[in-house]
Amino acid sequence: MFAKLKKKIAEEAATAPRSGVRIPRTISKESITSVGADSGDDFASDGSSSRDDLPSQLLRRNDQIRKLEAKLSDYAEQLRIMQKTKDKLEIALERHQDSSIKKLQDQNENHQANKAKMAEGMALALEKKDQEWMEKLGSVEKEKADLSARLEEMMEQSLALFQKRDDLDELEGFQQQELAKVKHMLLRKEELLSQREQELQQKDGEVQSAKRGLSEAWGKLRALEQQHEESCRLNSELEIEREELLLLREEADKKISELEGQCQELQSVIQQVSEDFQKSQSMVSNLEKSLHELQTEHDALKLQQQKAAVTEEDKERLLVDLQKKVSSLERRLEGNLSQDEHLQELLQEKSNVETMLKDTRAELLAVRTNHADTVSSLEAQVSRMSCTITELQTLLRHKEDSSRAYRERTDTQIANLELQVLETTERLKSAEQQIAEKQQHMDKVQGEWNAEKAFLDQQVCLLEQQSQEKASRLEESISSLQTDKQMLLDRVADLDKQMNEANSTLKQRSEEMEDCKAELNSRQTLSTEIAKALEETRRQKEELQMQVGELTRDLQTSQRELSTATEKLALREEDTETLRNEMQSRQALLVQLQEEAERLRAQLKQMELDKDSQLTSLKEELLSQTQQLDSCQARVSYLEVEVETLTEQLHSPEVCEEDQNGSVTVDDLDHVQKVNRELEQQLSDKNRTIKQLQQRLAELKRTLQKELKLKPEPEAEGREKLLESRAEKQEKVCPDPPPASTPSPPTSNTTVTNTSDLNDSREINFEYLKHVVLKFMSSRDAEAYQLIRAVAVLLNFSREEEEMLKQTLEYKMSWFGSKPSPKGTIRPSISGTSTNWS
Amino acid sequence: MGGFFSSLFSGLFGTREMRILILGLDGAGKTTILYRLQVGEVVTTIPTIGFNVETVTYKNLKFQVWDLGGQTSIRPYWRCYYSNTDAVIYVVDSSDRDRMGISKSELVAMLEEEELKKAILVVFANKQDMDQAMTPTEVANALGLPALKDRKWQIFKTSATKGTGLDEAMEWLVDSLKSRQ
Repeated sequence: MFAKLKKKIAEEAATAPRSGVRIPRTISKESITSVGADSGDDFASDGSSSRDDLPSQLLRRNDQIRKLEAKLSDYAEQLRIMQKTKDKLEIALERHQDSSIKKLQDQNENHQANKAKMAEGMALALEKKDQEWMEKLGSVEKEKADLSARLEEMMEQSLALFQKRDDLDELEGFQQQELAKVKHMLLRKEELLSQREQELQQKDGEVQSAKRGLSEAWGKLRALEQQHEESCRLNSELEIEREELLLLREEADKKISELEGQCQELQSVIQQVSEDFQKSQSMVSNLEKSLHELQTEHDALKLQQQKAAVTEEDKERLLVDLQKKVSSLERRLEGNLSQDEHLQELLQEKSNVETMLKDTRAELLAVRTNHADTVSSLEAQVSRMSCTITELQTLLRHKEDSSRAYRERTDTQIANLELQVLETTERLKSAEQQIAEKQQHMDKVQGEWNAEKAFLDQQVCLLEQQSQEKASRLEESISSLQTDKQMLLDRVADLDKQMNEANSTLKQRSEEMEDCKAELNSRQTLSTEIAKALEETRRQKEELQMQVGELTRDLQTSQRELSTATEKLALREEDTETLRNEMQSRQALLVQLQEEAERLRAQLKQMELDKDSQLTSLKEELLSQTQQLDSCQARVSYLEVEVETLTEQLHSPEVCEEDQNGSVTVDDLDHVQKVNRELEQQLSDKNRTIKQLQQRLAELKRTLQKELKLKPEPEAEGREKLLESRAEKQEKVCPDPPPASTPSPPTSNTTVTNTSDLNDSREINFEYLKHVVLKFMSSRDAEAYQLIRAVAVLLNFSREEEEMLKQTLEYKMSWFGSKPSPKGTIRPSISGTSTNWS
Repeated sequence: MGGFFSSLFSGLFGTREMRILILGLDGAGKTTILYRLQVGEVVTTIPTIGFNVETVTYKNLKFQVWDLGGQTSIRPYWRCYYSNTDAVIYVVDSSDRDRMGISKSELVAMLEEEELKKAILVVFANKQDMDQAMTPTEVANALGLPALKDRKWQIFKTSATKGTGLDEAMEWLVDSLKSRQ
């Protein structure tokens, strides 16, 4: 079984390496058929048996086995593909190496051949050129020797000529020098004379300036004297003013004294007046005293009068009493008739008393009159006295008034006088101040005047001294100038003498000159001859020079030719050198290339080794997998054998313990399933390892391609990047989001390269198309109807196609009408697909 | 079938769905305006590759509003949607002074289309909440709107994120659409 399987796998690997995806199925089918061929008879025979469980189990197992086989075959195929790719890579590497080596060898051979040819050609050309140039050089050297001999002769002749010319020039030079010397001496003397005259003039100017200074000083002195006189005048005037002021002062003093005298008189008058006043006051007091006395007398008189009145009253009372007594006595007389004598006596007494009464009355009257007279006189006296008092009082008042007025007058007069005194004193003071100021001013002026005078005196002295000094100097200078003049005159005389001498010498010289001229003439004749000879020689020389120039030109041309030839030679040499360098560089390149080739070979070897190792590892893995497969197959076969045995057992003993068998088979099945799972896990592990190895292989391929300077595939990378960017761009929420599987393009991504930009626009267009189509399919019919146009534009529908779409939509929207028949011209390949839209 | 019913109903009640296109350069805020009009909310958007269709009801008028993606590569497909359009809402980013010229050329090219001869033009000077935003008059002058003839147009300053100016614009649009019927 295993051998058969292995063989078949090997055969398929060998025969059908390009079978693709269908291979595993065929393998599995064949293997199944092969497996089935072994057990097919049993199945065919037992297919009709009543046991349904076992076949079903068997079928399941078979399926499992088929799956495993399919996976195995996949692995084998992948391995085969790997081996193929490896073989291809090896072949490509070998080819590349061969081609590179061949190319290198060809280049090397070509280069060497070229180099040899170039060297031979260059050597031949160089030899030819050398010979030609040697010949030319020989001829040129000969010509050069001849020309140099001629040149030497000419040079000798010209030297002789030059010597003669030099002698002539020297003689002429000497004569001119002597003449120039004499002229120079004369000029110097004249210059000296003019200088002395100028100096004299300068001295005269100085003397004049000194005189001017003197006159100016005199003028200043006069001005100062005038000033002095003016100041003296001022002084005298000031003194006169002072005297006047002093006089005024004396007058003022006199006035003051007079005023004081008046004042004293007035004071004495005031004193007299006051004395009078005191006297009158004392009089007044006396009068008042007398008045008092009179009043007292008057009072006393009044008292006496009162006493008299009182006595009168007493007498009247006595009279009254006496009359009463008389009356009483008469009554008594009337009462006593004999009493006539008594009556008479009483009448006598009565008459006596009455006479007495009359006397007293008269006396009384007299006293009364006297008293009244005295009182009236006294009263008159009092009145007189009072009159006098009043008069005195009025007098006193008058006197007081007059004294007051007088006082006032005197006071005013005194005040006026005092004011006058004060004014006069002030005037005096001011006058004194003025005097003092004037005196100060006088002093100052005098001081200034003295200072000015002293200064002016000093200046005058200085100026006099200076003028004297200047005069002395000028005199000295004049004397010195006179001496100088004399000296100069002497010198002039000497110079005249020298002039005479010089003239004599000049004459001698002129004579000599004439002699010399004669000689010169002779010499000139000689020189003319010589010049002629010289001209001839010059002509010859010119000719020779011409010849020499021609020769030199020839020489130059020949030299140029030589130089060009040498340059060419140098160029050739450089060329050869460059060629050699190129050779060397080529060789170096060759060496490098060889080294690179070696490196590449080494790398290739390494790669091959790596690949071999990888291959070996892969092979080992494959082997292990195949071993595992074998083991699996062995197990499968074992299981199959078991199954067969079981079936055989089933068949042979028809009556078996179904339950036992069932249990056994269940156990077996479990076991098989476990084994299967393990195998599947191992297979998945192997798959992973194979994938990793494939990735490594891809990387190695890339490195190989890079090293072989093949272009990598940028598109794949770009696509990968795009895919990545798209994957990143799936987070934002779309308002009407497209399906999650469709990624939105990076529209906001503005920083993309050109190619990716193009891709972007395409992407956007595609995205747009997709969105519109989606909307078209999902939206309401009214909206979809309006989207037909967009879809048509986007998908480049023809007008007919668009019309058809519209009609179908209208049909969909309406309840009536018939389905529009698709036209055959729209989709010639698939005519029936239009039904998809309806 | 549903479409037929709706069309039948609309035929019965005399209200037709107005078809409005929202156009403008990419990033002008078309999608934001659409969903602001429909839901009344600000949604986070990504650049529209394709279009968005929503039915917006405003003052008993139903609008079928199409928001077409404004990317440069898909701008040529705008003309596929022009037929049967009642109004065009042209959205301009007022703060994008650099691309105002591109916006103008796109607008001019759109208005020259025969299918849009009768469409009303509403310009949204959007993103007025930005600091450097141009005023509506500036935008109108930049787009050359005053030079338009035989066209009913109006410009509104809007801010889709703040929701200002959209109501006035829609009211004007409704009034002008009603008056045209």
